[in-house]
Amino acid sequence: MSAVKLKNVRFTYEGQKSAALDGVDFTLEYGELALLSGVSGSGKSTLMNIICGIIPQVVKGRLDGEVYVDGKSVKGETMNSICRKVGVVLQNSDAQIIQDRVEAEIAFGAENLGMPPERIKESVDNACERMQLDKNAFTRTLSGGQKQRLIAAAVLAMRQKILILDEPLANLDAKGARMLMESLSRLAECGYAVMVIEHRLDAVMHYADRVWHLENAQLYTVKDKYAYLSSRALNLKDSVGKILGQGNAFSLENVKYAVRKKEILRGIDLDIPMGGRTLITGENGCGKTTLTRIIARLVKPTSGEMRQYISPKSKRANARWFADVGVVYQNPDYQLFMPTVKSEVLFGARDKNYALELAERFCVTHLFDRHPHSLSEGQKRLVGVCAVLATRPKVLLLDEPTVGQDYGGLERMVGIINGIHVQTGNTLITVTHDKRCADALCDTAAIVSDGVISDIGGKEKARVFMDRNIS
Amino acid sequence: MERLSAKRALYPLMSVFTGIVVLVVGLILAKREYGMIYLGGVWLLLLLFGYYKACLAVIPFAAVTAGIFCAVTYALSRDVQSTLSAAARILAVCVAVIAGMGIRPSALISNLSTLRAPRSITLGMMIAVGFFPLLMRETKQIREAMRTRGAGSMLRPTVFYRAFLLPLVIRLVNISDTLSLSVETRGFLIGDKNYTVYKKTVFGIKDGVFAVIFTLGTVLAVIFL
Repeated sequence: MSAVKLKNVRFTYEGQKSAALDGVDFTLEYGELALLSGVSGSGKSTLMNIICGIIPQVVKGRLDGEVYVDGKSVKGETMNSICRKVGVVLQNSDAQIIQDRVEAEIAFGAENLGMPPERIKESVDNACERMQLDKNAFTRTLSGGQKQRLIAAAVLAMRQKILILDEPLANLDAKGARMLMESLSRLAECGYAVMVIEHRLDAVMHYADRVWHLENAQLYTVKDKYAYLSSRALNLKDSVGKILGQGNAFSLENVKYAVRKKEILRGIDLDIPMGGRTLITGENGCGKTTLTRIIARLVKPTSGEMRQYISPKSKRANARWFADVGVVYQNPDYQLFMPTVKSEVLFGARDKNYALELAERFCVTHLFDRHPHSLSEGQKRLVGVCAVLATRPKVLLLDEPTVGQDYGGLERMVGIINGIHVQTGNTLITVTHDKRCADALCDTAAIVSDGVISDIGGKEKARVFMDRNIS
Repeated sequence: MERLSAKRALYPLMSVFTGIVVLVVGLILAKREYGMIYLGGVWLLLLLFGYYKACLAVIPFAAVTAGIFCAVTYALSRDVQSTLSAAARILAVCVAVIAGMGIRPSALISNLSTLRAPRSITLGMMIAVGFFPLLMRETKQIREAMRTRGAGSMLRPTVFYRAFLLPLVIRLVNISDTLSLSVETRGFLIGDKNYTVYKKTVFGIKDGVFAVIFTLGTVLAVIFL
């Protein structure tokens, strides 16, 4: 008996003409770890939503075909009853946390299933150990990666035999990704059925027993997974030589940052060369994002000094400063607010023609009349980067630009960013833990560990760090 | 508020009940000459039962507010007894909130779950407790993002309004959608009676001792003060 079986499934979203999935046949067996891959917006989450009953019970549309979970048709079953058999890890872990403590959050699902308290305790302890979480920690103090591990732990503690995880590695560093994948692999060996939907193929492929690829609403089985991996997850090559201006753009001296008594940065010394490409990497919760917020002058360090040489007369981080220092957020939802993509790209642009030319390079002109928030996540990200670059910033700060990006989208974005870097000589600062693009966006690599710069050097430093943490 | 919570708080519902009783009795005794002794006694009792952080935190607020009310009352009435009564009323409110400040909201929710309160209430409380910190976090994040796009100035109100309100609404809608899906996919069902409570809140010896002392003290105060 298969854990999940889909026969000739076709689904069309309400109000849409074309089907999101068309004639899909899919099986997930017990004891198997399957990977579902495909470009952004190809329908991977749609497939998951059909299996766990979100479609058609919450998200409406026309669903044809047969869906079986644990050998039984899901027709007429409620989402709640399906999810008692299928553990689901959704995207956006930050929005899913309801409890104040890690232990209570992990126990929540197990309580709902009516597990006896002693079994819940065992599940909570196991899940905490697997995901390296402190069960007494307050959930609001966790970093993005820790929150992602927490939500995965909360589902693992429910002990359903079928697990589906939608981009569970999106915010995890290499160590966290390996930890989660090893746990899932062990569960599959113990007879669980596990399906992982993921773009980071390099982190998953090694563990996958079967690989599925979704494209143009059709689902295919991948025959040679390593050939598939090498065609889609090669580390992007750097096509740009070192372009250095004179001196430093930023200089940080013993920079510390603490919230209440918690030290996040414990003495950062870092010079960021003018016109160079600096890559900042490190494990989850090490202080990378805080460091970029200090560089962008969004927050002041608790102690130490951050000197900038971009706009020496600028005393405040005002609109003029941010026209020089473009900051691209990890989540584009925060930075998009205009009624159309065109007005978004033109907002704040010093030269409208340049902004329109940039939009063409980013291939977003066909979206000009759309509302930015109606776009897919990948498209939103492209529009966000394009809108920031349209102000012709001297510095571009990118915080995890690859989250949720498929390989094609990533390749295109890195190509454009590097092209503009060559053209304008801007200073590029990228925060990422994505091995695929590290080489291509790096002249200088700074490794942040436990609130300090633990290593600094050329791109080989980033390579060594990422290889050490991924293999 | 969390940093004011007691490490080993009393039985949460009893804490809430204590607060209500202190408020009512404190206001009744406010007009009596020795009414403040009762409030002092309750303050000391809470201090001894682990609520010292909340007990100490309330002092500056109580001192300033009582001072202002005393000054206003004395200026209007020129009567010492009325002034003391005004102070006692303020102090009654301040002492009453200590018991509430000392318990974590999650402990109260867990207490209600243990008593099998309807799940729609406990989940609603859980989400409501987390909503305000979330709203503050989101607001802060959006204000920062607005600055990075050059839309942070209030001198351009239409842009300011769009750049603040639109991302905020989008984020809150997205978060609530994801949260409700997450809760359902994690097996939560309104009206489900077959759930378990992982860590039950029990009424312990310490709670019993507190209840006896507090009840006796309150009864004696009402009779003799």
